[in-house]
Amino acid sequence: MANDKSFLERLGDLDRRWVFIIIGLSVFIPLLVPLGLEVVTTPTTVDVFNAIDSLPAGTRVLISFEYGPSTQPEVEPMGVALLHHLFRKDCRVIATALWPDGQFMSARLFELFEAEYDLEWGVDYVNLGFRPGAEAVIKGIAKEFRANYRTDLRGNLVEDLPIMDGIYKVADVDFIFTLSAGYPGTVEWILYAADPYNIPMSSGVTAIQVNEVIPYVDAGQCYGILAGMSGAAEYETLVKKGDATKFMDAQSIAHFLIVLFIILGNISYIVGRRRQRSA
Amino acid sequence: MSKDVWTIVSIVIVAALSALSVAAISWGIDNHEIGFGFWIGSLLTMGIMSYLYADNPFYKFTEHLFVGVSASYWIATYYWTQIDTNLLGRLFPEKTSFLGMTIDFSRHGHEQNLWYLIPLVLGLFMLARLIPSIGWISRWSLSFVVGLYAGLRSYGYLQSNVMQQAKETFRPIIIPGDFWAGFNHLVLVVGVVSALLYFFFSKEHKGMFGTISRVGIFFLMVSFGAAFGFAVMGRISLLIGRFDFLIRASTAENGYPSIVVTVLMVAILSILAMKNKGKGEDEDELFEP
Repeated sequence: MANDKSFLERLGDLDRRWVFIIIGLSVFIPLLVPLGLEVVTTPTTVDVFNAIDSLPAGTRVLISFEYGPSTQPEVEPMGVALLHHLFRKDCRVIATALWPDGQFMSARLFELFEAEYDLEWGVDYVNLGFRPGAEAVIKGIAKEFRANYRTDLRGNLVEDLPIMDGIYKVADVDFIFTLSAGYPGTVEWILYAADPYNIPMSSGVTAIQVNEVIPYVDAGQCYGILAGMSGAAEYETLVKKGDATKFMDAQSIAHFLIVLFIILGNISYIVGRRRQRSA
Repeated sequence: MSKDVWTIVSIVIVAALSALSVAAISWGIDNHEIGFGFWIGSLLTMGIMSYLYADNPFYKFTEHLFVGVSASYWIATYYWTQIDTNLLGRLFPEKTSFLGMTIDFSRHGHEQNLWYLIPLVLGLFMLARLIPSIGWISRWSLSFVVGLYAGLRSYGYLQSNVMQQAKETFRPIIIPGDFWAGFNHLVLVVGVVSALLYFFFSKEHKGMFGTISRVGIFFLMVSFGAAFGFAVMGRISLLIGRFDFLIRASTAENGYPSIVVTVLMVAILSILAMKNKGKGEDEDELFEP
Protein backbone atom coordinates (compact mmCIF):
# COMPACT_ATOMS: atom_id res chain seq x y z
CA MET A 1 0.00 0.00 0.00
CA ALA A 2 1.12 3.51 -0.80
CA ASN A 3 0.91 4.66 2.85
CA ASP A 4 3.43 1.99 3.95
CA LYS A 5 6.07 3.47 1.74
CA SER A 6 8.98 5.33 3.30
CA PHE A 7 9.87 8.89 2.35
CA LEU A 8 12.65 7.69 0.03
CA GLU A 9 10.28 5.31 -1.75
CA ARG A 10 7.64 8.01 -2.17
CA LEU A 11 10.33 10.22 -3.67
CA GLY A 12 10.52 7.76 -6.55
CA ASP A 13 6.80 8.25 -7.23
CA LEU A 14 7.17 12.04 -7.46
CA ASP A 15 5.09 13.49 -10.27
CA ARG A 16 7.46 14.26 -13.15
CA ARG A 17 6.06 17.79 -13.38
CA TRP A 18 7.73 18.67 -10.07
CA VAL A 19 11.05 17.57 -11.58
CA PHE A 20 10.37 19.78 -14.62
CA ILE A 21 9.59 22.77 -12.38
CA ILE A 22 12.72 22.30 -10.27
CA ILE A 23 14.96 21.91 -13.34
CA GLY A 24 13.25 24.91 -14.95
CA LEU A 25 13.87 27.08 -11.89
CA SER A 26 17.48 25.85 -11.61
CA VAL A 27 18.04 27.16 -15.13
CA PHE A 28 15.90 30.30 -14.90
CA ILE A 29 17.14 31.75 -11.60
CA PRO A 30 20.90 31.73 -12.45
CA LEU A 31 20.08 33.52 -15.71
CA LEU A 32 18.47 36.31 -13.68
CA VAL A 33 21.01 36.24 -10.85
CA PRO A 34 24.38 35.05 -12.22
CA LEU A 35 26.72 33.41 -9.74
CA GLY A 36 29.91 33.87 -11.76
CA LEU A 37 31.16 30.29 -11.41
CA GLU A 38 34.62 29.73 -12.84
CA VAL A 39 34.97 28.28 -16.35
CA VAL A 40 37.96 25.92 -16.58
CA THR A 41 39.36 25.26 -20.05
CA THR A 42 39.83 21.67 -21.23
CA PRO A 43 42.73 20.48 -23.43
CA THR A 44 40.50 19.90 -26.49
CA THR A 45 39.35 23.55 -26.37
CA VAL A 46 42.92 24.77 -25.93
CA ASP A 47 43.86 22.71 -29.01
CA VAL A 48 41.22 24.53 -31.06
CA PHE A 49 42.43 27.89 -29.76
CA ASN A 50 46.07 27.08 -30.54
CA ALA A 51 45.19 25.82 -34.03
CA ILE A 52 43.34 29.05 -34.87
CA ASP A 53 45.85 31.25 -33.09
CA SER A 54 48.70 29.84 -35.16
CA LEU A 55 47.07 30.88 -38.47
CA PRO A 56 48.92 33.77 -40.13
CA ALA A 57 47.09 36.91 -41.33
CA GLY A 58 45.38 36.44 -44.68
CA THR A 59 44.71 32.72 -44.10
CA ARG A 60 41.56 31.61 -45.88
CA VAL A 61 39.39 29.59 -43.55
CA LEU A 62 36.34 27.69 -44.78
CA ILE A 63 33.64 27.63 -42.11
CA SER A 64 30.72 25.34 -42.72
CA PHE A 65 27.52 26.14 -40.86
CA GLU A 66 25.67 22.93 -40.11
CA TYR A 67 23.15 24.01 -37.52
CA GLY A 68 19.77 25.68 -37.33
CA PRO A 69 17.53 27.58 -34.93
CA SER A 70 16.93 24.47 -32.80
CA THR A 71 20.63 24.16 -31.92
CA GLN A 72 21.50 27.84 -32.18
CA PRO A 73 21.90 28.40 -28.39
CA GLU A 74 24.62 25.74 -28.30
CA VAL A 75 26.53 26.39 -31.50
CA GLU A 76 26.17 30.10 -32.18
CA PRO A 77 28.30 31.21 -29.19
CA MET A 78 31.13 29.12 -30.65
CA GLY A 79 30.68 30.85 -33.99
CA VAL A 80 30.74 34.27 -32.34
CA ALA A 81 33.96 33.58 -30.43
CA LEU A 82 35.56 31.91 -33.46
CA LEU A 83 34.78 34.80 -35.82
CA HIS A 84 36.13 37.30 -33.27
CA HIS A 85 39.32 35.26 -33.12
CA LEU A 86 39.65 34.94 -36.91
CA PHE A 87 38.82 38.54 -37.83
CA ARG A 88 41.06 39.85 -35.06
CA LYS A 89 43.88 37.88 -36.69
CA ASP A 90 42.91 39.31 -40.09
CA CYS A 91 42.00 35.90 -41.51
CA ARG A 92 39.56 35.59 -44.44
CA VAL A 93 36.38 33.57 -44.06
CA ILE A 94 34.53 31.55 -46.70
CA ALA A 95 31.19 30.35 -45.37
CA THR A 96 29.29 27.35 -46.70
CA ALA A 97 26.33 25.35 -45.40
CA LEU A 98 25.18 21.77 -45.80
CA TRP A 99 22.03 22.55 -43.81
CA PRO A 100 19.38 24.82 -45.33
CA ASP A 101 19.18 26.81 -42.08
CA GLY A 102 22.95 27.16 -42.00
CA GLN A 103 23.04 29.98 -44.52
CA PHE A 104 20.70 32.07 -42.39
CA MET A 105 22.71 31.34 -39.27
CA SER A 106 25.91 32.48 -40.99
CA ALA A 107 24.25 35.55 -42.53
CA ARG A 108 23.00 36.53 -39.08
CA LEU A 109 26.49 36.20 -37.59
CA PHE A 110 28.25 38.14 -40.36
CA GLU A 111 25.76 40.99 -39.86
CA LEU A 112 27.07 41.33 -36.30
CA PHE A 113 30.69 41.44 -37.41
CA GLU A 114 30.52 43.54 -40.58
CA ALA A 115 30.58 46.91 -38.85
CA GLU A 116 32.80 45.99 -35.91
CA TYR A 117 35.69 44.75 -38.09
CA ASP A 118 34.92 46.89 -41.17
CA LEU A 119 34.57 43.76 -43.30
CA GLU A 120 34.13 43.82 -47.05
CA TRP A 121 32.04 41.15 -48.77
CA GLY A 122 34.07 39.15 -51.25
CA VAL A 123 37.36 40.40 -49.84
CA ASP A 124 37.38 39.68 -46.09
CA TYR A 125 34.54 37.17 -46.14
CA VAL A 126 31.95 35.63 -48.38
CA ASN A 127 28.83 33.63 -47.70
CA LEU A 128 28.37 30.98 -50.39
CA GLY A 129 25.17 29.69 -48.85
CA PHE A 130 23.54 26.28 -48.79
CA ARG A 131 23.92 23.41 -51.24
CA PRO A 132 21.90 20.21 -50.78
CA GLY A 133 23.58 16.83 -51.13
CA ALA A 134 25.47 16.40 -47.84
CA GLU A 135 28.73 14.50 -48.45
CA ALA A 136 28.15 14.67 -52.21
CA VAL A 137 28.67 18.44 -51.97
CA ILE A 138 31.95 17.97 -50.11
CA LYS A 139 33.08 15.43 -52.69
CA GLY A 140 32.02 17.88 -55.39
CA ILE A 141 33.98 20.86 -54.05
CA ALA A 142 36.93 18.57 -53.40
CA LYS A 143 37.12 18.14 -57.16
CA GLU A 144 35.71 21.39 -58.53
CA PHE A 145 34.69 24.14 -56.11
CA ARG A 146 33.15 26.44 -58.70
CA ALA A 147 31.00 23.79 -60.33
CA ASN A 148 29.12 23.46 -57.04
CA TYR A 149 29.32 27.08 -55.93
CA ARG A 150 28.99 29.17 -59.07
CA THR A 151 27.54 32.18 -57.25
CA ASP A 152 27.56 33.44 -53.67
CA LEU A 153 24.52 34.17 -51.53
CA ARG A 154 24.17 37.64 -53.07
CA GLY A 155 24.28 36.29 -56.62
CA ASN A 156 27.84 37.43 -57.40
CA LEU A 157 29.87 35.09 -59.59
CA VAL A 158 32.43 33.28 -57.44
CA GLU A 159 35.15 33.87 -60.04
CA ASP A 160 34.73 37.63 -59.55
CA LEU A 161 35.41 37.49 -55.79
CA PRO A 162 38.97 38.37 -54.69
CA ILE A 163 38.68 36.06 -51.67
CA MET A 164 38.19 33.10 -54.03
CA ASP A 165 41.30 33.80 -56.10
CA GLY A 166 43.17 30.55 -56.59
CA ILE A 167 40.52 28.43 -54.89
CA TYR A 168 39.44 25.79 -57.40
CA LYS A 169 39.06 22.84 -55.06
CA VAL A 170 38.64 22.39 -51.33
CA ALA A 171 42.34 21.56 -50.87
CA ASP A 172 43.10 25.18 -51.84
CA VAL A 173 41.64 26.53 -48.57
CA ASP A 174 44.08 26.74 -45.67
CA PHE A 175 41.86 25.57 -42.84
CA ILE A 176 38.38 24.09 -42.36
CA PHE A 177 36.19 24.73 -39.35
CA THR A 178 32.76 23.16 -38.99
CA LEU A 179 30.02 24.39 -36.70
CA SER A 180 28.03 21.22 -36.57
CA ALA A 181 24.83 19.97 -34.98
CA GLY A 182 24.47 16.58 -36.67
CA TYR A 183 24.40 14.99 -40.09
CA PRO A 184 25.83 16.19 -42.41
CA GLY A 185 28.52 17.85 -40.36
CA THR A 186 31.92 17.41 -38.81
CA VAL A 187 32.26 13.68 -39.52
CA GLU A 188 31.51 14.15 -43.22
CA TRP A 189 34.03 16.99 -43.53
CA ILE A 190 36.68 14.79 -41.93
CA LEU A 191 35.83 11.81 -44.13
CA TYR A 192 35.64 13.59 -47.48
CA ALA A 193 37.82 16.70 -47.15
CA ALA A 194 40.22 16.88 -44.20
CA ASP A 195 41.47 13.28 -44.27
CA PRO A 196 41.81 12.61 -48.00
CA TYR A 197 43.39 16.00 -48.81
CA ASN A 198 45.31 16.60 -45.56
CA ILE A 199 43.54 19.88 -44.84
CA PRO A 200 43.91 21.02 -41.22
CA MET A 201 40.51 21.04 -39.60
CA SER A 202 38.84 21.84 -36.33
CA SER A 203 35.27 21.83 -35.14
CA GLY A 204 32.64 23.07 -32.74
CA VAL A 205 29.81 20.61 -32.18
CA THR A 206 26.68 20.16 -30.10
CA ALA A 207 27.21 18.21 -26.89
CA ILE A 208 25.28 15.23 -28.20
CA GLN A 209 27.78 14.86 -31.07
CA VAL A 210 30.90 14.85 -28.91
CA ASN A 211 31.05 11.08 -28.45
CA GLU A 212 30.84 10.62 -32.20
CA VAL A 213 33.55 13.14 -33.05
CA ILE A 214 36.03 12.68 -30.18
CA PRO A 215 37.70 9.56 -31.71
CA TYR A 216 38.74 11.68 -34.70
CA VAL A 217 40.15 14.32 -32.33
CA ASP A 218 42.04 11.68 -30.39
CA ALA A 219 43.46 10.27 -33.61
CA GLY A 220 44.65 13.70 -34.75
CA GLN A 221 42.19 13.88 -37.67
CA CYS A 222 40.64 17.02 -36.15
CA TYR A 223 42.50 19.66 -34.11
CA GLY A 224 40.56 19.80 -30.86
CA ILE A 225 36.84 20.21 -30.43
CA LEU A 226 34.50 22.73 -28.87
CA ALA A 227 32.06 20.54 -26.99
CA GLY A 228 28.62 22.11 -26.67
CA MET A 229 27.87 25.25 -24.73
CA SER A 230 30.63 24.54 -22.20
CA GLY A 231 33.14 24.32 -25.08
CA ALA A 232 31.91 27.68 -26.33
CA ALA A 233 32.29 29.21 -22.87
CA GLU A 234 35.82 27.81 -22.55
CA TYR A 235 36.78 29.19 -25.95
CA GLU A 236 35.33 32.55 -24.97
CA THR A 237 37.53 32.72 -21.90
CA LEU A 238 40.56 32.19 -24.16
CA VAL A 239 39.40 34.64 -26.84
CA LYS A 240 38.04 37.02 -24.16
CA LYS A 241 34.90 37.77 -26.17
CA GLY A 242 31.39 36.28 -26.25
CA ASP A 243 28.22 35.54 -24.28
CA ALA A 244 28.15 31.81 -23.51
CA THR A 245 30.05 32.17 -20.22
CA LYS A 246 27.04 33.85 -18.57
CA PHE A 247 24.96 30.72 -19.30
CA MET A 248 27.34 28.32 -17.57
CA ASP A 249 25.97 28.97 -14.05
CA ALA A 250 22.57 27.71 -15.18
CA GLN A 251 24.20 24.76 -16.94
CA SER A 252 26.24 23.76 -13.87
CA ILE A 253 23.37 24.02 -11.39
CA ALA A 254 21.00 22.09 -13.65
CA HIS A 255 23.60 19.33 -14.06
CA PHE A 256 24.11 19.16 -10.31
CA LEU A 257 20.37 18.76 -9.77
CA ILE A 258 20.04 16.10 -12.47
CA VAL A 259 22.85 14.09 -10.86
CA LEU A 260 21.06 14.51 -7.52
CA PHE A 261 17.77 13.26 -9.04
CA ILE A 262 19.54 10.25 -10.55
CA ILE A 263 21.09 9.34 -7.19
CA LEU A 264 17.79 9.83 -5.31
CA GLY A 265 15.91 7.85 -7.97
CA ASN A 266 18.31 4.95 -7.63
CA ILE A 267 18.21 5.01 -3.83
CA SER A 268 14.42 5.07 -3.94
CA TYR A 269 14.41 2.10 -6.32
CA ILE A 270 16.86 0.09 -4.19
CA VAL A 271 14.95 0.81 -0.95
CA GLY A 272 11.68 -0.21 -2.60
CA ARG A 273 13.15 -3.41 -3.98
CA ARG A 274 14.62 -4.37 -0.59
CA ARG A 275 11.28 -3.78 1.12
CA GLN A 276 9.48 -5.91 -1.45
CA ARG A 277 12.00 -8.73 -1.01
CA SER A 278 11.74 -8.66 2.78
CA ALA A 279 7.91 -8.58 2.65
CA MET B 1 -14.04 22.29 -26.95
CA SER B 2 -13.36 19.21 -29.06
CA LYS B 3 -10.24 18.57 -31.13
CA ASP B 4 -12.06 19.53 -34.34
CA VAL B 5 -12.96 22.94 -32.96
CA TRP B 6 -9.36 23.46 -31.80
CA THR B 7 -8.13 22.51 -35.27
CA ILE B 8 -10.40 25.10 -36.90
CA VAL B 9 -9.35 27.73 -34.33
CA SER B 10 -5.68 26.90 -35.04
CA ILE B 11 -6.18 27.28 -38.80
CA VAL B 12 -7.87 30.65 -38.27
CA ILE B 13 -5.05 31.84 -35.99
CA VAL B 14 -2.37 30.71 -38.48
CA ALA B 15 -4.21 32.43 -41.34
CA ALA B 16 -4.55 35.62 -39.26
CA LEU B 17 -0.87 35.58 -38.26
CA SER B 18 0.21 34.97 -41.84
CA ALA B 19 -1.99 37.80 -43.12
CA LEU B 20 -0.68 40.08 -40.36
CA SER B 21 2.93 39.24 -41.21
CA VAL B 22 2.42 39.89 -44.92
CA ALA B 23 0.56 43.12 -44.14
CA ALA B 24 3.34 44.24 -41.76
CA ILE B 25 5.95 43.65 -44.48
CA SER B 26 3.92 45.44 -47.15
CA TRP B 27 3.30 48.41 -44.80
CA GLY B 28 7.04 48.63 -44.19
CA ILE B 29 6.71 47.96 -40.46
CA ASP B 30 9.92 46.89 -38.77
CA ASN B 31 9.17 43.80 -36.69
CA HIS B 32 12.03 44.68 -34.34
CA GLU B 33 10.41 48.03 -33.54
CA ILE B 34 7.00 46.67 -32.58
CA GLY B 35 8.35 43.50 -30.98
CA PHE B 36 6.05 41.34 -33.10
CA GLY B 37 8.69 38.61 -33.21
CA PHE B 38 8.90 38.55 -29.42
CA TRP B 39 5.14 37.98 -29.16
CA ILE B 40 5.13 35.17 -31.72
CA GLY B 41 8.30 33.66 -30.23
CA SER B 42 6.92 33.76 -26.70
CA LEU B 43 3.62 32.21 -27.79
CA LEU B 44 5.31 29.37 -29.65
CA THR B 45 7.95 28.72 -26.98
CA MET B 46 5.38 28.54 -24.20
CA GLY B 47 3.07 26.51 -26.47
CA ILE B 48 5.71 23.80 -26.87
CA MET B 49 6.77 23.93 -23.21
CA SER B 50 3.16 23.57 -22.08
CA TYR B 51 3.38 19.91 -23.16
CA LEU B 52 5.46 19.29 -20.04
CA TYR B 53 2.24 19.74 -18.07
CA ALA B 54 -0.07 17.81 -20.39
CA ASP B 55 -1.08 17.48 -24.03
CA ASN B 56 -3.15 20.58 -24.72
CA PRO B 57 -4.50 22.80 -27.50
CA PHE B 58 -1.59 25.27 -27.32
CA TYR B 59 0.89 22.47 -27.83
CA LYS B 60 -1.10 20.91 -30.66
CA PHE B 61 -1.40 24.27 -32.41
CA THR B 62 2.34 24.95 -32.13
CA GLU B 63 3.27 21.43 -33.19
CA HIS B 64 1.10 21.57 -36.31
CA LEU B 65 2.36 25.03 -37.14
CA PHE B 66 5.95 23.81 -36.84
CA VAL B 67 5.35 20.83 -39.13
CA GLY B 68 3.63 22.96 -41.76
CA VAL B 69 6.16 25.78 -41.70
CA SER B 70 9.08 23.32 -41.80
CA ALA B 71 7.66 21.51 -44.82
CA SER B 72 7.07 24.70 -46.79
CA TYR B 73 10.43 26.13 -45.71
CA TRP B 74 12.28 23.03 -46.94
CA ILE B 75 10.39 22.96 -50.23
CA ALA B 76 11.14 26.64 -50.88
CA THR B 77 14.80 26.33 -49.88
CA TYR B 78 15.39 23.21 -51.99
CA TYR B 79 13.64 24.74 -54.98
CA TRP B 80 15.70 27.93 -54.98
CA THR B 81 19.04 26.36 -54.09
CA GLN B 82 18.84 23.13 -56.07
CA ILE B 83 16.14 22.97 -58.74
CA ASP B 84 16.36 26.62 -59.80
CA THR B 85 20.13 27.05 -59.38
CA ASN B 86 21.67 23.69 -60.10
CA LEU B 87 19.17 21.98 -62.40
CA LEU B 88 17.31 24.61 -64.44
CA GLY B 89 20.34 26.90 -64.30
CA ARG B 90 22.36 24.23 -66.10
CA LEU B 91 19.68 23.10 -68.53
CA PHE B 92 18.64 26.62 -69.58
CA PRO B 93 21.66 28.87 -68.98
CA GLU B 94 20.62 31.25 -71.77
CA LYS B 95 17.47 33.35 -71.96
CA THR B 96 15.06 31.38 -74.12
CA SER B 97 11.39 30.90 -74.98
CA PHE B 98 9.47 27.71 -74.36
CA LEU B 99 5.77 27.27 -75.20
CA GLY B 100 5.37 31.03 -75.29
CA MET B 101 7.05 31.50 -71.88
CA THR B 102 10.33 33.32 -71.39
CA ILE B 103 12.79 31.17 -69.44
CA ASP B 104 15.79 32.93 -67.97
CA PHE B 105 18.21 31.22 -65.58
CA SER B 106 21.27 33.03 -66.88
CA ARG B 107 21.75 34.75 -63.49
CA HIS B 108 23.35 31.58 -62.11
CA GLY B 109 26.25 31.86 -64.57
CA HIS B 110 26.34 28.16 -65.53
CA GLU B 111 27.20 26.70 -68.90
CA GLN B 112 24.73 24.33 -70.49
CA ASN B 113 25.17 20.75 -69.33
CA LEU B 114 22.66 18.29 -70.75
CA TRP B 115 23.85 15.50 -68.42
CA TYR B 116 21.52 17.17 -65.94
CA LEU B 117 18.59 15.75 -67.90
CA ILE B 118 19.33 12.48 -66.07
CA PRO B 119 18.69 13.89 -62.56
CA LEU B 120 15.64 15.68 -64.01
CA VAL B 121 14.21 12.39 -65.25
CA LEU B 122 15.13 10.58 -62.02
CA GLY B 123 13.46 13.36 -60.06
CA LEU B 124 10.30 13.03 -62.13
CA PHE B 125 10.39 9.28 -61.53
CA MET B 126 10.28 9.95 -57.79
CA LEU B 127 7.00 11.81 -58.29
CA ALA B 128 5.57 8.64 -59.85
CA ARG B 129 4.89 7.47 -56.29
CA LEU B 130 1.90 9.80 -56.37
CA ILE B 131 0.27 7.53 -58.99
CA PRO B 132 0.11 4.03 -57.43
CA SER B 133 -0.13 2.18 -60.77
CA ILE B 134 3.28 3.46 -61.91
CA GLY B 135 4.76 3.97 -58.43
CA TRP B 136 7.35 1.25 -59.04
CA ILE B 137 9.28 3.58 -61.36
CA SER B 138 10.38 5.60 -58.32
CA ARG B 139 12.49 2.61 -57.23
CA TRP B 140 14.94 3.39 -60.03
CA SER B 141 15.59 6.83 -58.53
CA LEU B 142 15.84 5.40 -55.05
CA SER B 143 18.32 2.76 -56.24
CA PHE B 144 20.47 5.51 -57.70
CA VAL B 145 20.45 7.46 -54.43
CA VAL B 146 21.12 4.35 -52.31
CA GLY B 147 23.93 3.19 -54.61
CA LEU B 148 25.54 6.63 -54.74
CA TYR B 149 25.54 7.16 -50.98
CA ALA B 150 26.56 3.57 -50.18
CA GLY B 151 29.57 3.99 -52.44
CA LEU B 152 30.44 7.42 -51.08
CA ARG B 153 30.18 6.38 -47.45
CA SER B 154 31.99 3.06 -47.78
CA TYR B 155 34.99 4.82 -49.30
CA GLY B 156 35.09 7.52 -46.62
CA TYR B 157 34.52 5.10 -43.76
CA LEU B 158 37.17 2.70 -44.97
CA GLN B 159 39.80 5.38 -45.12
CA SER B 160 38.99 7.53 -42.09
CA ASN B 161 37.21 5.17 -39.72
CA VAL B 162 38.78 1.80 -40.35
CA MET B 163 42.33 2.57 -41.47
CA GLN B 164 43.03 5.79 -39.55
CA GLN B 165 41.25 4.75 -36.38
CA ALA B 166 42.83 1.29 -36.30
CA LYS B 167 46.25 2.85 -36.87
CA GLU B 168 45.75 5.24 -33.95
CA THR B 169 44.81 2.35 -31.65
CA PHE B 170 48.35 0.98 -31.79
CA ARG B 171 50.14 3.27 -29.40
CA PRO B 172 53.11 2.72 -27.05
CA ILE B 173 52.01 1.71 -23.57
CA ILE B 174 55.39 2.37 -21.98
CA ILE B 175 56.47 5.97 -22.38
CA PRO B 176 59.58 6.87 -20.40
CA GLY B 177 58.93 9.82 -18.11
CA ASP B 178 55.18 9.91 -18.74
CA PHE B 179 53.54 7.02 -16.91
CA TRP B 180 49.97 8.32 -17.24
CA ALA B 181 50.17 8.80 -21.02
CA GLY B 182 51.24 5.15 -21.31
CA PHE B 183 48.46 4.12 -18.93
CA ASN B 184 45.89 6.00 -21.04
CA HIS B 185 47.08 4.14 -24.11
CA LEU B 186 46.79 0.84 -22.24
CA VAL B 187 43.19 1.68 -21.31
CA LEU B 188 42.54 2.52 -24.96
CA VAL B 189 43.91 -0.81 -26.19
CA VAL B 190 42.07 -2.84 -23.53
CA GLY B 191 38.85 -0.94 -24.25
CA VAL B 192 39.00 -1.42 -28.02
CA VAL B 193 39.91 -5.12 -27.86
CA SER B 194 37.41 -6.07 -25.14
CA ALA B 195 34.55 -4.08 -26.72
CA LEU B 196 35.24 -5.66 -30.12
CA LEU B 197 35.29 -9.14 -28.54
CA TYR B 198 31.90 -8.45 -26.94
CA PHE B 199 30.47 -8.19 -30.46
CA PHE B 200 32.06 -11.47 -31.55
CA PHE B 201 29.16 -13.93 -31.47
CA SER B 202 30.70 -17.00 -33.12
CA LYS B 203 32.04 -18.21 -29.79
CA GLU B 204 30.15 -18.62 -26.53
CA HIS B 205 31.00 -15.92 -23.99
CA LYS B 206 32.50 -18.25 -21.36
CA GLY B 207 35.79 -18.59 -19.49
CA MET B 208 38.56 -16.13 -20.40
CA PHE B 209 36.65 -15.04 -23.50
CA GLY B 210 33.57 -14.28 -21.37
CA THR B 211 35.65 -12.32 -18.85
CA ILE B 212 37.18 -10.14 -21.56
CA SER B 213 33.81 -9.51 -23.20
CA ARG B 214 32.41 -8.53 -19.77
CA VAL B 215 35.22 -5.98 -19.48
CA GLY B 216 34.06 -4.77 -22.90
CA ILE B 217 30.57 -4.24 -21.49
CA PHE B 218 32.03 -1.93 -18.81
CA PHE B 219 33.72 0.17 -21.49
CA LEU B 220 30.48 0.29 -23.47
CA MET B 221 28.58 1.35 -20.34
CA VAL B 222 31.05 4.18 -19.73
CA SER B 223 30.59 5.24 -23.36
CA PHE B 224 26.78 5.20 -23.01
CA GLY B 225 27.05 7.16 -19.77
CA ALA B 226 29.21 9.80 -21.44
CA ALA B 227 26.74 9.97 -24.35
CA PHE B 228 23.85 10.43 -21.89
CA GLY B 229 25.76 13.14 -20.03
CA PHE B 230 26.45 15.03 -23.23
CA ALA B 231 22.82 14.60 -24.31
CA VAL B 232 21.67 16.15 -21.01
CA MET B 233 24.15 19.00 -21.46
CA GLY B 234 22.84 19.63 -24.97
CA ARG B 235 19.20 19.67 -23.89
CA ILE B 236 19.89 21.99 -20.96
CA SER B 237 21.74 24.32 -23.37
CA LEU B 238 18.65 24.50 -25.55
CA LEU B 239 16.49 25.22 -22.50
CA ILE B 240 18.90 28.00 -21.53
CA GLY B 241 18.58 29.42 -25.04
CA ARG B 242 14.78 29.51 -24.80
CA PHE B 243 14.78 30.99 -21.29
CA ASP B 244 17.27 33.62 -22.40
CA PHE B 245 14.87 34.52 -25.21
CA LEU B 246 11.91 34.71 -22.82
CA ILE B 247 13.88 36.98 -20.48
CA ARG B 248 14.83 39.26 -23.39
CA ALA B 249 11.17 39.21 -24.46
CA SER B 250 9.95 40.37 -21.08
CA THR B 251 10.82 44.04 -21.47
CA ALA B 252 8.32 46.89 -21.06
CA GLU B 253 9.11 48.41 -24.47
CA ASN B 254 7.61 45.37 -26.19
CA GLY B 255 4.65 45.15 -23.81
CA TYR B 256 5.97 42.26 -21.65
CA PRO B 257 5.16 39.60 -24.28
CA SER B 258 6.63 36.57 -22.51
CA ILE B 259 5.04 37.47 -19.16
CA VAL B 260 1.61 38.16 -20.67
CA VAL B 261 1.69 34.97 -22.76
CA THR B 262 2.81 32.85 -19.78
CA VAL B 263 0.14 34.22 -17.44
CA LEU B 264 -2.64 33.79 -20.02
CA MET B 265 -1.52 30.28 -20.94
CA VAL B 266 -1.26 29.16 -17.32
CA ALA B 267 -4.72 30.58 -16.61
CA ILE B 268 -6.33 28.83 -19.61
CA LEU B 269 -4.57 25.52 -18.89
CA SER B 270 -5.68 25.73 -15.25
CA ILE B 271 -9.31 26.18 -16.34
CA LEU B 272 -9.00 23.23 -18.73
CA ALA B 273 -7.39 21.11 -16.01
CA MET B 274 -10.18 21.97 -13.54
CA LYS B 275 -12.82 21.11 -16.13
CA ASN B 276 -11.12 17.76 -16.69
CA LYS B 277 -10.70 16.99 -13.00
CA GLY B 278 -12.83 14.20 -11.66
CA LYS B 279 -13.93 13.03 -15.10
CA GLY B 280 -11.65 10.03 -14.81
CA GLU B 281 -9.97 10.81 -18.13
CA ASP B 282 -6.29 10.73 -18.92
CA GLU B 283 -4.84 13.60 -16.92
CA ASP B 284 -2.01 13.92 -19.43
CA GLU B 285 -4.44 15.23 -22.02
CA LEU B 286 -6.51 18.38 -21.63
CA PHE B 287 -8.83 17.85 -24.59
CA GLU B 288 -12.43 16.81 -24.34
CA PRO B 289 -12.76 13.32 -25.83
